[in-house]
Amino acid sequence: MLLQMKGITKRYGSLTANDAINFTLAEGEVHALIGENGAGKSTLMRILYGEEQPTEGHVFIAGQEHAFSSPSDAIRAGIGMVHQHFMLFPSFTVAENIVIGREPRAGMSFDRKAAAEQVKALSEKYGMPVDPWEKVADCPVGIQQRIEILKVLNQGAKIIIMDEPSGALTPLEVEWLLKAIKRLAKQGISFILISHKLHEVMDSSDRITVLRDGRVTGTVTAEETDAVKLSQLMVGRELVLTEKKRLEPGKNILEVRDVTLSGSKGGKPVLDRIGFTVRAGEIVGIAGVSGNGQSELLQVISGLRNTDTGQVLLDGQDVTGKTPGTFRDAGLAHIPEDRYMWGSAKEETVTDNAIMGHLRSFSRNGLLRKGQIKETVAQWIDAYKVKTGSLDTRGKHLSGGNMQKLIVAREMAHGTPFVIAAEPTRGVDIGAMETIHDALLKRREENGAILLVSSELTEILKLSDRILVLFEGRIAGELSAEEATEERISILMAGGTGVETN
Amino acid sequence: MEAILDWSLLSSMFRVVAPLLLAALGGALCARVGIFNVALEGMMLTGAFSAILGNYWFGNVWLALLFACLCVAAVSLLFGYLSIHLQANAIVVGVAINFLATGLTAFCLFAVFNVKGQFYDKSMTGLPKWNIPLIQDIPVVGQIISGHTPLVYAAFLLVGVLQYVLFKTVLGFRLNAVGENPAAAKSLGLRVRRYQYGAVIASGVLCGLAGAQLSLGQVTLFAENMTAGRGFIALVATMLGQSNPLGVMGSSMLFGLMDALSNRLQGFSVPTHFTMMLPYVMTIIVMLFFKDKSYLRQSGRIAGK
Amino acid sequence: MKRINWTASAQALLNPLIAVLLGLLVGAIAIWAVGGSVITTYVEMWNGAFGSFYFTTSTLTRATPIILAALGVSLAFRAGFFNLGAEGQMIFGALAAAIAALYVPGPGIVKIISAMIAGMLAGGLWSALAGWLDTRFRMNLLITTLLLNYIAVLFAGYMVSFPLKEKAGSGGAQTAMIDNSAWLPKLFSGMTLHAGFIIAALATILLALFFRYTTKGYEIRMLGSNPLFAAFGGVRRGKLMLLSMMLSGALAGLAGTFEVLGTQYRYIDNMLSAPGYAWSAIMATLLASSNPIGAAFAAVLLAALQTGGMGVERNTEVPLEISSVIQASLILFVSARITISLIKRKKARAVDGSHS
Repeated sequence: MLLQMKGITKRYGSLTANDAINFTLAEGEVHALIGENGAGKSTLMRILYGEEQPTEGHVFIAGQEHAFSSPSDAIRAGIGMVHQHFMLFPSFTVAENIVIGREPRAGMSFDRKAAAEQVKALSEKYGMPVDPWEKVADCPVGIQQRIEILKVLNQGAKIIIMDEPSGALTPLEVEWLLKAIKRLAKQGISFILISHKLHEVMDSSDRITVLRDGRVTGTVTAEETDAVKLSQLMVGRELVLTEKKRLEPGKNILEVRDVTLSGSKGGKPVLDRIGFTVRAGEIVGIAGVSGNGQSELLQVISGLRNTDTGQVLLDGQDVTGKTPGTFRDAGLAHIPEDRYMWGSAKEETVTDNAIMGHLRSFSRNGLLRKGQIKETVAQWIDAYKVKTGSLDTRGKHLSGGNMQKLIVAREMAHGTPFVIAAEPTRGVDIGAMETIHDALLKRREENGAILLVSSELTEILKLSDRILVLFEGRIAGELSAEEATEERISILMAGGTGVETN
Repeated sequence: MEAILDWSLLSSMFRVVAPLLLAALGGALCARVGIFNVALEGMMLTGAFSAILGNYWFGNVWLALLFACLCVAAVSLLFGYLSIHLQANAIVVGVAINFLATGLTAFCLFAVFNVKGQFYDKSMTGLPKWNIPLIQDIPVVGQIISGHTPLVYAAFLLVGVLQYVLFKTVLGFRLNAVGENPAAAKSLGLRVRRYQYGAVIASGVLCGLAGAQLSLGQVTLFAENMTAGRGFIALVATMLGQSNPLGVMGSSMLFGLMDALSNRLQGFSVPTHFTMMLPYVMTIIVMLFFKDKSYLRQSGRIAGK
Repeated sequence: MKRINWTASAQALLNPLIAVLLGLLVGAIAIWAVGGSVITTYVEMWNGAFGSFYFTTSTLTRATPIILAALGVSLAFRAGFFNLGAEGQMIFGALAAAIAALYVPGPGIVKIISAMIAGMLAGGLWSALAGWLDTRFRMNLLITTLLLNYIAVLFAGYMVSFPLKEKAGSGGAQTAMIDNSAWLPKLFSGMTLHAGFIIAALATILLALFFRYTTKGYEIRMLGSNPLFAAFGGVRRGKLMLLSMMLSGALAGLAGTFEVLGTQYRYIDNMLSAPGYAWSAIMATLLASSNPIGAAFAAVLLAALQTGGMGVERNTEVPLEISSVIQASLILFVSARITISLIKRKKARAVDGSHS
C-alpha cells in the first residue's frame, strides 16, 4: 500500500470527529471517501494534508511513518490537495498559479517565461490543456480545477486529495474530470475522492470507504456495491419519502418580466431576458450549475440589486428597483443562499438574528416589543429544534445547521405570500433537512408561492412542481415535475436543449 | 504669481515629498500583504523623535538614522504582533499605536531633554545636502534635482527597487500572493505570517527614515506632533497609487507639491490658515476622483466586540 | 426568565480591568525610567483625580465633553463607521454654539437652547458631510473624517483670528465672552462641574436604551455587525449612515457646546484640541467596545488619568505626559484583547485547535 492511515482519532474537546479510522490507498488507485456532512471526511483529509494533527493514530507513506505538522510537510511527502473552494490567485496567470512555491528563477528574478514553458510541458504530459498566459480570473471553473490539479502535480504529488470536485462543474465538465482522473490513475497517480454524489463515486472509484459519525461503516469495492447499499451505510437508516399533495396553483404571486443584468466590462449579460412566474400554492425550482446567474436573480427579486431592464411584480405590486424593505412589505420572505454572508450576524444574539426583516410585527411606534419577541423566538426554537444555549447566545456559537434552522424559522413564521428558499438545506444534517422540507411543503399547501433555488438536483426533484433551468443567465428550459428527470435537467444545465434527447 | 510658481518650488517639493513617499511606500508594502497600516502616522512621529534622540546621543547623523530605523522597527513589530499574531483589528491597533507614539514621544521629550513642545539644539547637525556631480551644473534641472539630503534620493531610488522587487522577483511574487489570497498561500506551504511581518517591519524602517527626514532633513528639531497628519496623507497616497510604487510616487508628488505650495503661500497675503488647509483639502478632492475599494473589506468589523 | 450570565459579565469586566492594570504597569516602568518613585507618583495621581471633592468634580468636568463625544463615537462605531472626526465635529459645535450664544438675542435660556441646537447641528452636519462623501462617492470615511479634523481646526482658527476675534481683549485668538446669562449653572458653588455633566449622564442612559429598545437602534447595531445581513433585512444603509453620522456628530457638537457654555464661556483657539478631548473620547469608546455606559465610565477613567497627571506634574518631577503613556498602552492592551487572546490560546492548546 502506498498510503496507510492507522487508528486515526481526532477529538475537539468532547467532540470526536474521527474515531479510530483506518484508511489505505494503493498506487494508481482511486479511493472514494463518502459520508454525510459532519461525518468526519474533511477532518480525516485535513490530518492527511497536515492542516490538523491527529489526537491518536499513525500515517505511513510507502511504509514509512510520517507526522505532518503543516501542509508543506505533506506536500514534500507527495500529497497534494485540491480544495472544494479553489485555492487560486485570480489576478495571476495560469502559469504563475501552477508554479507558485517552486518558481523557476533567473538570479533573483522570477523567470516567467521558463514557468510558462514548464507548465506547457506539464500540461502535455498529463493531457490537461491550459493556456499558461491566461489570467485565472478569466478561466471557467472547469479550467480552474485543471489548474489546481496541475499545480499539485507540479508539486510532485503522487497522492491527490480531491474535495467535492464536481460541486461547481457542469455535467460535461464532470465527465471530463472523471475521465482525466482515470487517465492519471493509469499514469500512477493515486486519488482520494471526497464526495457525496453516489453515482459519480460509483463511476470513477476502485474502492469506496463510507464514514458515519466519525467511524468507518464500510470499505467496499465499486463492483460489489450499489447506490442503495452506499446510502444505507451513509445514513444508517432508510429515508422516508414525503408525498406531495396535488394542488391546483392559484394566482400569480411573483412575476418576473424580461429581466436583464449586464455583465462587467461589457461581457455577456449575467441575466438575459429572464421571465417567469410563481403562483400561489406551487413550488418552482431553479436548477443550474452555480454561477449561471442564480445569485444575481435572487438579488434582483429580493431588492438587493437593481435590474437593468425588465420588471418584477410581487403580489400584483410593481416593486422593480425598490429597496429590500419594500419587497418585504409586499410579501417577501427570503431564506438566503449564504447564511453567514446574508442571513445572519455572527456577533449578535439569537433573538437579534431572529427578528431581522420582520421588525414591523415585532415593534410598536419604533420600540421593540421585547416580551413578544422572546416568546415567539422561544416557540420557533422549540418547533425547529434549534440547539442553542439561550436566546442570548451569539450567532457564532450556533452550528451551521442550527443557524440555518433559525433562519428558516424566521422566514417561514410570518406567513408571507412569497418565499425564496435558496439552498435551504445546504450543510444541514438529514433530520434538519426533513424539517425544512416539511415546512416548505406545508407552506405550499397553505397556498404560499415558493421559489426554490438549489444546486442539489434531488432536492429540486423532490419538492418542485415546475423546474426552470438556468444556463449562462438564460432560462434554458422549463420542465414540469412529471417530465423532469435528473438526466434531462443535467442536459439543460450543460447548455443542451433537452428537446433533442427525446 | 510668478513668485509663487518658480523652480525652487519644485526643489522644495522634492524635499517635502520624501517623508510622504517613504511612508507611503511602507504603506504600500503592508497593503500588498493585506494589512491596512493606519499606524504610519505614529511610526513616522516615532521616527522623527528617535532620529533627534539618536543625533543627540551619538552626535552622528548616520547613527541617528540607524537608531530611528531600529526604534520604529520595534514599534512596527508591536503593530505586527498585535494585528498578525493576536489577530486584533489592524485599524484599531493602528489607532492605538498612533496614540502611543504621541504620548511616548511627548513623555520622552520631557524625560530626556526636559522640555515641552519642542526640542532644538544648535550643536546638532542635520542630514547633509548632497550635490550630484554633472547634474548640479545643468541649469534649472540641477537646481531642482541636486542639493537634497540623501534620504530624498533614497526615497526615489527605493521606488525603482520596490517596483523591481514586487513585480519581477520571486520574493515580490510571493508577497503579492500572500496579500491576494492568504488561505491559498498558506495551503501551498508559504509562511504567510513571515511575509506579513517582513512587510510590516520594512514599513517601520521606511517610516523611520520618513520621520528622520522630517526632523533632520528639513529642519533640525523635534516638535510634538510634528507629523501633523502626514502619515494619513501618505496612507491616501498609498491607496491612490494602488499600492504600486510608481503610482505611489505619483500621488505622493502631488501631495508634496501641495505641501510645498502651502509653505510657499504663507509668505503672501492669504491667511496662513487657508494655505495650511491646502494639502488636506487637496487630498480630499483627489480622493473624489480615485476610488479605493479594498478598504471596505478591512473596515468591516470595528465595533470592537 | 431573567438570568444574568455571570461568567460572561465577569469576563466583559475582567478584560478592561486587566488592561488597566497592565497600563499602570507600563506607566510604572516609565516612571521608574525617569527616576521617579512609582508609589509617590501613583498616590499623587490618585489625589489629583479624586483626592478631594474639588479634584473629583474637576475630573468629572473634564470627563463631560469626553463622555458626550464618546457617545457619538460609540454610535458611529456601532453602526460600523470609523468616525475619527470627533475633534472637528466638537470644534464646529463649539464655534457655532459660541456664535449663537453671542448673537441670538433674548434671555439666557433662549441663548442656551439656541447654542445647543446650533452646536449639535454644526457638529452633525460636519460629520454627515463625511458620511455623504462615503455613501455618494465611496470615499474612505476613516481618512475623510481625519482630514476634515485638520480643516476644522484651521477654519475655526481663522474665524477666531479674524472675523470673530475679540475686539477689546488680550489679543489672543478667541471670541468675545458670552453673556453670563447664557452660562450653564454650576452644580456646586466654587466647583467647576456644570449642568452639562447631568445631560451627559442622561444622554448615556438614553443611548443605551436606544440601542436596546428601539428599532432604529437595532438596525444600527445590525448594520455595524453585518451590513449585508442588514441590507437583506430591509435596512437602508445610505439613510441610516447619514442618520448615525449626523447623530454622532451632534453628540460631539454638544460636547463642544458645553465647553463653551459651561467652562470657557467663549471659543478659544485650540481649546478643544489641546486637551485632546476627541481622542480621549475615541479611546474611551475603544476601551468599552462601543458600549455607551462602558464608554461613559471609560471617559471618567481617562479624565481621571489626565487630571491625575496634572497632579503628578504639580507635585513630582514626573511629567504630565505619563498619563498619555498609560492611556495609550491601556488602549493597546484592550485593542489586542490580550486577556481574551491568552485565554483562547490556552484553551486552544488544551483541545488542539478550534474546528469550524
